[in-house]
Amino acid sequence: MSGDEPIPNEAVVSGAAGWLGQNLVRALAPHRSRVRCLVHSKDEAPLLEIIGRNIEVVVGDVRDPTALDTLFDGVGTATAFHAAAVIHPAKAVREFFDVNVGGTELMLDRARRAGASRFVHVSSNSPFGANATPLERFTEDSPYHPYMAYGRSKLEAEQLVFRRHERGDLATVIVRAPWFYGPYQPDRQTQWFRTVRRGRFPLVGDGTQRRSMVYTGNLVSGMLRAEAATAAAGNAYWIADPRPYELREVFATVRDALVAEGLPATRRLPRMPRFASEIAARLDGLAQGTGRYVQALHVLGELKDTIACDVSRARAEIGYDPDVTLLDGMRASIRWCLDRGDEL
Amino acid sequence: MSRLGTNYLETEVLIIGSGAGGSVTAASLAAAGRDVTVLEEGPWIEADAMEPFSLEEMVAKYRHTGLAAALGSPGIVYAEGRCVGGSTEINSGLYHRLPASLTDEWRTDYEIDEFTPEILDRYAQRVEDSLTVSKVPGPPPPSSAVLERGAAKLGWRAVEFSRVFRYEPGGRAVKQTMSRTFLPRALDAGARLIPDCRVTRLVRRGDRITEVRCSRRDSSGAIEALTVRPEHVFVCGGSIQTPALLQQSGIRTHIGGGLKLHPTVKIAARFTESLDHRDVPMHRVTEFAPNLTIGGSASRRGHVALALADSGADYRDALDDWDRVAVYYAAIRSEGSGRVIALPGLAAPLVTYRLTDGDMSRLARGLVYLGEVLLAAGATELYPSVVRGAVVRSPDELVQWWDAVSRSRANVMSVHLTSTVRIGENRARAGADSFGRVWGLSNLRINDASLLPDAPGVNPQGAIMAIATRNCDQFLATT
Repeated sequence: MSGDEPIPNEAVVSGAAGWLGQNLVRALAPHRSRVRCLVHSKDEAPLLEIIGRNIEVVVGDVRDPTALDTLFDGVGTATAFHAAAVIHPAKAVREFFDVNVGGTELMLDRARRAGASRFVHVSSNSPFGANATPLERFTEDSPYHPYMAYGRSKLEAEQLVFRRHERGDLATVIVRAPWFYGPYQPDRQTQWFRTVRRGRFPLVGDGTQRRSMVYTGNLVSGMLRAEAATAAAGNAYWIADPRPYELREVFATVRDALVAEGLPATRRLPRMPRFASEIAARLDGLAQGTGRYVQALHVLGELKDTIACDVSRARAEIGYDPDVTLLDGMRASIRWCLDRGDEL
Repeated sequence: MSRLGTNYLETEVLIIGSGAGGSVTAASLAAAGRDVTVLEEGPWIEADAMEPFSLEEMVAKYRHTGLAAALGSPGIVYAEGRCVGGSTEINSGLYHRLPASLTDEWRTDYEIDEFTPEILDRYAQRVEDSLTVSKVPGPPPPSSAVLERGAAKLGWRAVEFSRVFRYEPGGRAVKQTMSRTFLPRALDAGARLIPDCRVTRLVRRGDRITEVRCSRRDSSGAIEALTVRPEHVFVCGGSIQTPALLQQSGIRTHIGGGLKLHPTVKIAARFTESLDHRDVPMHRVTEFAPNLTIGGSASRRGHVALALADSGADYRDALDDWDRVAVYYAAIRSEGSGRVIALPGLAAPLVTYRLTDGDMSRLARGLVYLGEVLLAAGATELYPSVVRGAVVRSPDELVQWWDAVSRSRANVMSVHLTSTVRIGENRARAGADSFGRVWGLSNLRINDASLLPDAPGVNPQGAIMAIATRNCDQFLATT
């Protein structure tokens, strides 16, 4: 590890009203003079404005050149955190490319023109697909093998980010995050808690397939290290919890977390044969081939796979040190749901 | 040559097509003393007979008098030259070497022998030495300066590209087309050129092409049959006609699939000052290259009218002002691909092309960036090549084009068609060997854009000519 850069007083965050965005903005707010936030709709502005007077919200489309001009107006050498992306499009596959690729290219362009000191880009495991064997772990040297349209869009976005760094336009860092959990979660995650609690979410196969997950708090700490660490510039890092979990362990921990927060949960766990997930993946591929996106098929199709990464390079090179455990992180998420009155 | 009768011809080397590939092949082989005959489907047109980049030129020199379409959703309109000199007579003459990264990628993926950046650069140098590759002396035309100015305002990279132009002492720019360069050299070295002669079939016996059947239009307009008996055949008809002819002759393995092209969307941009439309812009915005490149097209009154019409908007006022309107494009590297399929009994093959969702998104992105750069350069009205794609007058209106560029509304066109045969030792993917000889045939070679394994992301003429020269050297050394 080779020291840190001075941290700019200002930050720009795209996707600020999203799951990760809200966690990030809350972590930045106490330490920055200004946090400029891009949100997609006017209704989302209050979610951020209540955090503090130094939060400045810009409502606009990440594909809109003039919205991004406003976003970067007068923030000089701010760090740009690019967290805006589409993961489950409303219907058409094309949105992946418009937002994940087009939005990234425009953010890179505006960040460069504004003189941003660093660009922290949120990527995914999807450019790498699934592990070839249950014990393999993705490292920063693993080859690209994108999974469906989302994976291809995030891959192309990574290539645009790398290219900007190579051309000397911007100092960039890519943060590759797997499946999130944590507060400010979207409805789909709350729904997942409900179905696990009632024993309705299926475990595919024997449940020993491994998944890396990342608590949003751990991810935010990784992004802040990506911003600060001198050695990070031009690189990509896996940012996840310290180790991957077997899928059956994830389900058991969610159940334990529910119980610990006073919500009795069934121990029942319906099993689904592996081939059901394989069929779902096939159908998902067929639908995406015609431009359509069906979220249920996509989620079910991925449940059979091991998608696991190794965070040791982020620990060694940028001082990433995740400290929230799966149980504590799940409990924090459940408390967040209960605090805002969600039925679980 | 010995004539067996008016309708028979014997020749050592028969070259079918006189574009960038065919003309280079003819000049190389004739200079080496080979007995060469070139057949060209289109007419011979005197080099200075027509105003460059005019509609009159388009009607005379383009196949189908200008436009053909690849079927798909959306369809893609494309243009091919059909005259002596082929597409070099009608293109904008921009010249590039093949990027080294692509050379390396293609060599690996297709297992192409003797295909390194050093080797291709050596051949490119030979082509450049004999073609005059130059930059514009003095200031660029206003339509080109627009791109330079807009890019500078946005902090985007823009470059003036080299072109195959020679500048006469009086300042006149003369495009170094094949009919002005390699073809006259081939003829001086003894080659024969037969224009207005369409090849209908290659006759195969065993692993050889023994006869080539043609129909030739004579000066009175009458059609007569001609049969050529060659020792060697080079097919250089371009990426549509070459695979169609091979398929019609029963040669089908890895022939006609894998069509690649550079899809483009356009904007007709209106300015407050007059733009000089005698030349075509030579500047390109390369900020988003290689996936996306912005440039300018021919913008005489007819081109402006066609481009304005693509928007579906009311454009009468802009057309009256056409001197202040110029046509610009955004071209992408496409992940999609297409297919050429010869249909029995029909002269024109069926061409299909499928754009991916990623391609459609890239086109939308390109249109938005193109709009930005034109507005930054002072354009006051932008007419996109999108049906009901709103006319834009300020940057905050650009975002609506993202959704307007859809499969049902975008008018997409292309000029660079490649990759319908592909060279390499990888017989699972290539239709011809490392030097263009069709797999399974001993005396049939391809030497045109069909050989490129992929669209190069830049104007392909330079790559075609370098590869064709290389293949000729190998032919001369081994045959």
